[in-house]
Amino acid sequence: MRQSQIRYLGLVAAALLLVAACGSTTGGTASPSAKVVKVGLVTDIGGLNDKSFNHLADVGLEKAKVDFHIQGDVTESHTGGDYIPNLTHYAQLNYDLVIGVGFLMQQAVGTVAGQFPTVKFAIIDGVGTDAKGNDLKLPNVVSLVFKEQDAGAMVGVIAGMMEKDKLTPGKTNVISAVGGVSIPPVNHYIAGYKWAATMEDPGIKVLVGYSNDFTDPAKCQSVAKAQIAAKSEVVFQVAGGCGLGALQAAGQAKLFSIGVDADQGTADPSVIASALKKVDVATYTAIQSVVNGTFQSGALTFSIVNGGAGYQLDNFPGGALPADIQTEVDSVMAKIKAGTLTPPDTIPAG
Amino acid sequence: MPRIPEPLRRLTRGLAVPVGSVLFAFVVGGLIVAGTGGDPVVAYQGLVCGGLGILCSGGENSALQISNTIIFVTPLLMAGVAVALPFRAGLFNIGAEGQYLAGAVACTAIGVKFSTLPAPILLPMVLLGGMAAGAFWAGIAGVLKATTGAHEVVTTIMLNYVAQWLVRYLIIGGPLQLQGGFSVSSPIGPGAQLATILPNDNHRILFGLPSSVYRIHVGLFIALAAVAVFAFLLWRTPLGYEIRAVGQSQRAARYAGVSVRRTIIVTMLIAGAFAGLAGAVQIAGVDHNLTDIYFSDTTGFDAIAVALLGLGSGVGIVLASILFGALHAGGSVMQADAGISSSLVLVLQALILFSIGANFLSAIKVRLPAIGRSPSTPPAAIAAAATATEATGAPPEKDTS
Repeated sequence: MRQSQIRYLGLVAAALLLVAACGSTTGGTASPSAKVVKVGLVTDIGGLNDKSFNHLADVGLEKAKVDFHIQGDVTESHTGGDYIPNLTHYAQLNYDLVIGVGFLMQQAVGTVAGQFPTVKFAIIDGVGTDAKGNDLKLPNVVSLVFKEQDAGAMVGVIAGMMEKDKLTPGKTNVISAVGGVSIPPVNHYIAGYKWAATMEDPGIKVLVGYSNDFTDPAKCQSVAKAQIAAKSEVVFQVAGGCGLGALQAAGQAKLFSIGVDADQGTADPSVIASALKKVDVATYTAIQSVVNGTFQSGALTFSIVNGGAGYQLDNFPGGALPADIQTEVDSVMAKIKAGTLTPPDTIPAG
Repeated sequence: MPRIPEPLRRLTRGLAVPVGSVLFAFVVGGLIVAGTGGDPVVAYQGLVCGGLGILCSGGENSALQISNTIIFVTPLLMAGVAVALPFRAGLFNIGAEGQYLAGAVACTAIGVKFSTLPAPILLPMVLLGGMAAGAFWAGIAGVLKATTGAHEVVTTIMLNYVAQWLVRYLIIGGPLQLQGGFSVSSPIGPGAQLATILPNDNHRILFGLPSSVYRIHVGLFIALAAVAVFAFLLWRTPLGYEIRAVGQSQRAARYAGVSVRRTIIVTMLIAGAFAGLAGAVQIAGVDHNLTDIYFSDTTGFDAIAVALLGLGSGVGIVLASILFGALHAGGSVMQADAGISSSLVLVLQALILFSIGANFLSAIKVRLPAIGRSPSTPPAAIAAAATATEATGAPPEKDTS
């Protein structure tokens, strides 16, 4: 029944959305005279209000609408079965760019992009695949991927320096990360985090656990609690909606936590910083390439270098990083930008 | 006033509650849209265009819209039957979702394991396997109900959870996970796939689009046959008579020599087989592998609404499935074209259910006649009783002899 409960919660959300939609424009009908670039965005089942990448993708679209005077339309997917019809809808109307948000839509994008070779597609965090998960390398698909390890490294520096400077309550020299599932985008984050923390504080112990889930906060909470029992004092969540439970576990234990993807400072008072994956920048860039006629298939990678990854300081005690930590964070960021430091994309051993 | 012929009068009275409920939902939904600054006419135009392929203004392809709706309708038909049949026996099968997933899992497992077998052997195997798995899943609840009296609402809800997490386990780190993939299984063999009605070809243009976009498959005929089997079973067989007898009064049925326990178990087994078939057909006809799509599936829950709105009759299930399928498919187009959140569709679905459940239409002197042949229990009464039962948690007339 949980799905149906979610749906009825969805009703409430729907009512709120409708209220929120009040006063916004009622339709996306643009003037037919000028050739207006049309962009369709299809969210995954997280919906627009996920406080994460679906939301950020829409932010990027809205910004592009203002800057480029394009027509931008959004469809939310309520079930996985909606992916293909929703993508097909924009494709059959000959939209210039159809954006699928998230890894879960890989196969749907692969299928629909194959049917509409003249329509351009972008997929965030994935590629267009066939049923066996093989990248179809379609000439009309661009994948928007991230160097999550860059963002992970920035928060890893903060966590490592906190332990090194003995700013944590127990001074245990142990920190941790809660991953959703052991897949590349998750492990990239954790790799950067562990690498940077170890670089700052070679004696540090970095615990890594997985909840095998991206939606249920209870599961991440229990993983985080186990890590806290093993003396972890900073918990980095890399598990989407599930990870909110990890943030809460750290809050309940009066310890520190780090958010992921979007700014999660409001999710729990324990969140000292968030590792950012700027899906809005990626979406905007993809739209820009279509507007400028510079669209290229293949992959567009977003990292600290091009402003597609970074960090955000949240409820850090005292409101600002201590000077030495700030200096170190800035220095590591500069070195990554300069290419003299490269965070690994696989989790370092040890 | 001219006399209305009796059959027509019966028909209109029979349709009063469902049609009234749908109208009520659309009027209230329209008020919500208007009250929040939207234009209900534009919204409903998008909904109708997306659902039925008519009244389209934005250049949508009618054939594609109809095909998309049918894709959603097909599993609803079979899952709707899986809820409607137990209704007739006084059982509230909330577990169609779990049974649907069990069918999908079995179909995938068999279709992957024996992927090299030819279609004449493999296709029956995956479909029958799906039915068996669904029957097994529902049978657990049926046996518990018949032996310990455990309420089927509780057990089927719990079995839904088990099935949902089982699917998750199987394709995330479990034995069905595709090597090197995440949250997907291997595709089933070609022999296990149901043919699409139009050629699955990216290069052949039909109705203005590549013919592969029309995903309708022969599973539609399987689904319609399932509804026909349901109607035949219920009204033309001794078993159907027993099911209805148990549904009306377990005491009377027992007095008449019907084994209530056996009927409960058999009803659940058959219902589960229908839901399992729905899951198997969805894999064999549409998705061809078990993926994370099934984590967010709601077919089995929508089926409850379909069975209620369809008043537990075959024709009613077909009509209600078309309505819910069209709403599902239409919501996306409405959001894309009219900028109205497709969640409005969920509001409409809930309002329809609410108005049936609240039964206030009958309070305004619309008595519901039997839709079938014999003057049996009004299905809406069964449905209302079942809803009331769920709400209060009280078991129905108990068979603890």
